[in-house]
Amino acid sequence: MRHYRKPLAIAVALAVAVGAAGPAVAKTSGQAAAAKAAARAKLMAEHRGGTFTMLAKGAGGSLDPQINYTLQYWQLYQSTQDGLVAFKHAAGTKAFTLVPDLAVALPKPTDGGKTWTFKLRKGIKYSTGATVQPRDFLWTFQRIFKVHTPTAGGFYSGLVGADKCLKTPATCDLSKSVVIDNKAGTVTFHLVKPDAEWLYKLAVPHASVLPWGTPNKDMGTKLPPSTGAYMFTKYDPNHELVLKRNPNFKQWSVDAMPDGFVDSIVQKFGLSVEAEVTQVENGQADFLFDFPPADRLNEIGTKYPNQVHINTLFADWYAPMNVNLAPFNNKLARQAVNYAIDRNAAVRIFGGPKTAVPSCQMLPPGFPAYVAYCPYTKNPGSGKWTAPDLAKAKALVKQSGTAGQKVAIVGANDEVTKGMLTYLQSVLNSIGYKATIKPLSSNISFTYIQNTKNKVQISVSQWYQDYPAPSDFLNVLLGCGSFHPGSDTSINISGYCNKKVNADMQKALQLGIEDPPAALKLWTKVDKATTDDAAQAVLFNPRLIDFVSKRVGNYIWSAQFYTLVGQVWVQ
Amino acid sequence: MSEVAAIGDVGQQSARVVGRSPWALAGRRLLRNRSALIALAGFIVIVVACCAAGWYADSVAHTNPFVSTVDGTTLIDGKQQPVMVESSGGLGLGVTPIGPTWDIHHYFLGADSQGRDVAARMLYGGRNSLIIGTVSALLCCFFATLIALIAGFFGGIVDQILSRVLDLIWAFPVFLLAISVSTVALTSDIPIGPITLSAGSIWLPIIIISVIYVPYVARPIRGQVLSVREKEFVEASIGLGASNLRLIFSEVLPNVVTTVIVFFPLMIATNMLIESALSFLGIGVQPPDASWGTIISDGQGLLYTRPWVAIAPGIAIATTVLCLNVLGDGVRDALDPRARLRVGRR
Amino acid sequence: MIAFVIRRLLGMLLVMFALSVLVFLIFYSTPGVDPASRIAGRNADPETLKQVRHDFGLDRPLAVQYVILMKKLFITRDLTSFVNRGAKVVPQIVDAAPVTLSLVFGAVILWVVLAIAMGLAAAMMRGTFVDPLLMIIGLIGISMPVFWLGEVVNLITQSRLHDEFFSWLPPLGYTPLTEDPEQWFLHLLFPWITLSVLYIGFYGRVLRSSLIDSQSEDFVRTARSKGLTERRVLGRHILRTSMITFVSLFGLDFAALVAGGALLTEVVFGLPGVGKLTYDSLENLDLPIIMATTMYASFFIVMANAVVDILYGFLDPRVRVA
Repeated sequence: MRHYRKPLAIAVALAVAVGAAGPAVAKTSGQAAAAKAAARAKLMAEHRGGTFTMLAKGAGGSLDPQINYTLQYWQLYQSTQDGLVAFKHAAGTKAFTLVPDLAVALPKPTDGGKTWTFKLRKGIKYSTGATVQPRDFLWTFQRIFKVHTPTAGGFYSGLVGADKCLKTPATCDLSKSVVIDNKAGTVTFHLVKPDAEWLYKLAVPHASVLPWGTPNKDMGTKLPPSTGAYMFTKYDPNHELVLKRNPNFKQWSVDAMPDGFVDSIVQKFGLSVEAEVTQVENGQADFLFDFPPADRLNEIGTKYPNQVHINTLFADWYAPMNVNLAPFNNKLARQAVNYAIDRNAAVRIFGGPKTAVPSCQMLPPGFPAYVAYCPYTKNPGSGKWTAPDLAKAKALVKQSGTAGQKVAIVGANDEVTKGMLTYLQSVLNSIGYKATIKPLSSNISFTYIQNTKNKVQISVSQWYQDYPAPSDFLNVLLGCGSFHPGSDTSINISGYCNKKVNADMQKALQLGIEDPPAALKLWTKVDKATTDDAAQAVLFNPRLIDFVSKRVGNYIWSAQFYTLVGQVWVQ
Repeated sequence: MSEVAAIGDVGQQSARVVGRSPWALAGRRLLRNRSALIALAGFIVIVVACCAAGWYADSVAHTNPFVSTVDGTTLIDGKQQPVMVESSGGLGLGVTPIGPTWDIHHYFLGADSQGRDVAARMLYGGRNSLIIGTVSALLCCFFATLIALIAGFFGGIVDQILSRVLDLIWAFPVFLLAISVSTVALTSDIPIGPITLSAGSIWLPIIIISVIYVPYVARPIRGQVLSVREKEFVEASIGLGASNLRLIFSEVLPNVVTTVIVFFPLMIATNMLIESALSFLGIGVQPPDASWGTIISDGQGLLYTRPWVAIAPGIAIATTVLCLNVLGDGVRDALDPRARLRVGRR
Repeated sequence: MIAFVIRRLLGMLLVMFALSVLVFLIFYSTPGVDPASRIAGRNADPETLKQVRHDFGLDRPLAVQYVILMKKLFITRDLTSFVNRGAKVVPQIVDAAPVTLSLVFGAVILWVVLAIAMGLAAAMMRGTFVDPLLMIIGLIGISMPVFWLGEVVNLITQSRLHDEFFSWLPPLGYTPLTEDPEQWFLHLLFPWITLSVLYIGFYGRVLRSSLIDSQSEDFVRTARSKGLTERRVLGRHILRTSMITFVSLFGLDFAALVAGGALLTEVVFGLPGVGKLTYDSLENLDLPIIMATTMYASFFIVMANAVVDILYGFLDPRVRVA
């Protein structure tokens, strides 16, 4: 996933965890659950009330849960919208567990993994007062195609008849594949082929339920009806977004949709990030969504250390190199770049060693299948990067015969990325190229670097995990299937397509269903191979720094949706 | 007063009085204006210092201000210290460049966020800023005066058309143009006739800045032309049978030129600042090259920790403009004898 | 007079038309700016992209798209943003206008009064130390980038000295005058000061120069020979005719500011005015808003220049705008 955007492809390893989670949940003893509930009730009595004020540079676009694709609003939807299943509202990687939400339990698929039947909870109401009906789900899934949900093709095309819906959404009819049984209160999905990741696709906001009859056009600034603990009450993209408690909400699952402590959440737009930091320092706001600027890090780290939370992310900052264009169509040149970059310097530009960790490979530490591997350092062998090897880099450039060529480094024009671009320019110049930088408006840069028509040689980009599966980094970013020449969406930016490695990736995806440990071994091999092929120069794994005001309590960091804004208290 | 006395002496020394041309008189008056001379000297010092940027960087500071030295070290108080200092207090977040050392051999004004010597960059940057600022101001004032003279003098449909064109230019969304041009120039250099411009060419900002400010100088001067056009000496010249051309350049222009002289240094300051915005959007001075404007822009990100990075170029711009202003005043005073004679003081 | 008004209106329409076409062409000739993929969302598949393109009419020829855009903006007034979908553009500008007007009017009063005072003082006290001192102060003002000055003001008033001296200052933002006049004033106080600092120096210098020029005029000699004091001469006789340059500049700057030219000031102080709208639309490459703010700007600029031309007649009765 790119920061603040989420293309979701789903975890296989987690599918296994899901299967195991079912019985585990059932085993939780009644006593333990009751004790937890009592403790929570006590906290609720103590801390209930108040308004949580968040600050963001700008609005996040359309408020339609089936269209919005930004982390900014997905963070809010986890407290306002519900799907059949949900990611658990818990800390860290516990948040990767799926729990039943509008469904009563997580079903086991039948028919070889092609049919999934969910029994629905009764009595759940929307914020409008209407009750959630089984037929709402049919409407919801048809709407996915009618409003052109970005993931319509990527996630939901597995439904029988979905291919017709993609071509002619106006006449989309999924009544055969999303079968409603009003008497039994069930919804059954029929897929074209087995999909171990189907449950994840149901857990994202794009699949959250909307009432039958919801207009099949982008809601834009209109407020969606909510089933969750909070509902949207006001949206002015130039000023603020307001959420208040949903009066029709009664908590049915503390894991799937817990009741919130604050009475209202307000997200205010329009301040510069520097001003946002100052307001949180002064206690005039509670939280800023944007990254604190580099020149305030020391300030907040020394003056307000108790209000700063440093969270581990599974993410990369990397520099994809176009393997189909000179000079980086030459593997030696790409390896030279990898040897020359001083990843410590890049980390410093980002904010210092506490904010990021140098890396040479795509998979981040702690990730499934991760085995430390870094050949691009002085004294390789330990798997860790220690220092650049400029001499080797220069030699490789000479050997490759690409010395003296002009190279343009493209990236977004925000402060940090621009600093990276400037630094990389210096590095490329030092090993024998003539480098220039091209910072573009961040709204253009991401699509610009993907489109091969723009002949981008090297760029700077980031990737944030969507779910802890190696395929999310390796197959999505480096698989042959992700390379679409001439298109604005070709997330395999370097255009890398190694037939053998690709075949290994597809095999690993298969093995994920049959033999997960073998799959992980294969992913490690793929990680190593792609690092050796050097289609990119990975710079570091960033951390996320959250800065909250003094009065904020119960800050929980979820590895899936980051800050659980629905769970903080302010008094 | 001395000139008046000299003329009065004609009767006594008629044989030996040598008439001086108005230009020579102006020159003499200028040379006697002490503050103007100081300003001129100041300006020359600034220009020379900027030209000596290379020498300073190589021989005095021993630094290459175009190379990122995030991990570099320098000599402060006798010890080799890192140029980018990691935070050691609290949570240890953030990396701060060193501040001014006031040591002319080592990072006099401190380092920027890439670990480069700000003082050296200031000198190199001065060259770009001075060129862009003065050339664009010159072009702007020149074309603006031309347009203002024509529009104001002839009036009628000519004035209508020219004024509407000026309105169009003034309402134009320059930053959109800048984003567009820089993105286009990114993919391929822009050919204009025989010349190709790349995004980094300084002619791009020079042309853009001079064009967008033409209305700002032209309209006030046009207003003055409208006023001067009605004056008696113009009528007198018409009565004498002067052609339009002569009227414009011999009667009207000298009366508006003082305003142009005042505008010129002010526009230099404005242009240097606009150049930084354009460069941020990708036109003109590109990293790692510097201009005072781009250093200010770099300093924005260091405002809370190293304000000097943004203050220094601001002071440089202000000083340059101050010198040019005082010089301009001196030139204006030298050219217009009436102004000095009428005022009862010095 | 009627002829004058009609001529100007015609001129305005021509300018707005030419501008709109230019903006449209520039936008669409920028590579990578295709709105479809940004609207469709990250990693949308080709089918979705095609549908989105069709829905937004982006697959029609440019000329048709232009006509539709203009129609939606001016006639049906239901033009919506590319980025904040569903948000109508015209109401956004209508909401933002009072903020910018509040900012500009306050700053204008401040800078005009101070610039006139400065110009008069400098001209009257020419030859003393006051003249160069005022000049230096003015020059420092115009050598500072507004963005920098605003950030420094914030750094001092909101951050470093906030608790000691500025705790009475509310956080950045805007409160409408009708809601709470005191808060409205406090929110705008420092933006007014910041914005006017940039102009005082320029206008002060320009006025001083005009005053000095006028002092050699014949009518001034007449006034002096009548025995009027220097102050009277300057204040009543010279000032008016010297204001031509001042007023010309003012017309240009006032129009530009009201139309959104104070964008950096609004951004730094968190004021949701037309300038901020313009700034965001450029960041996001939101064509509908870029077009709307440009049209809004051109209207004000042509109007302001027409008013200034009429004012010339009052300031210097000799002038006739043909």
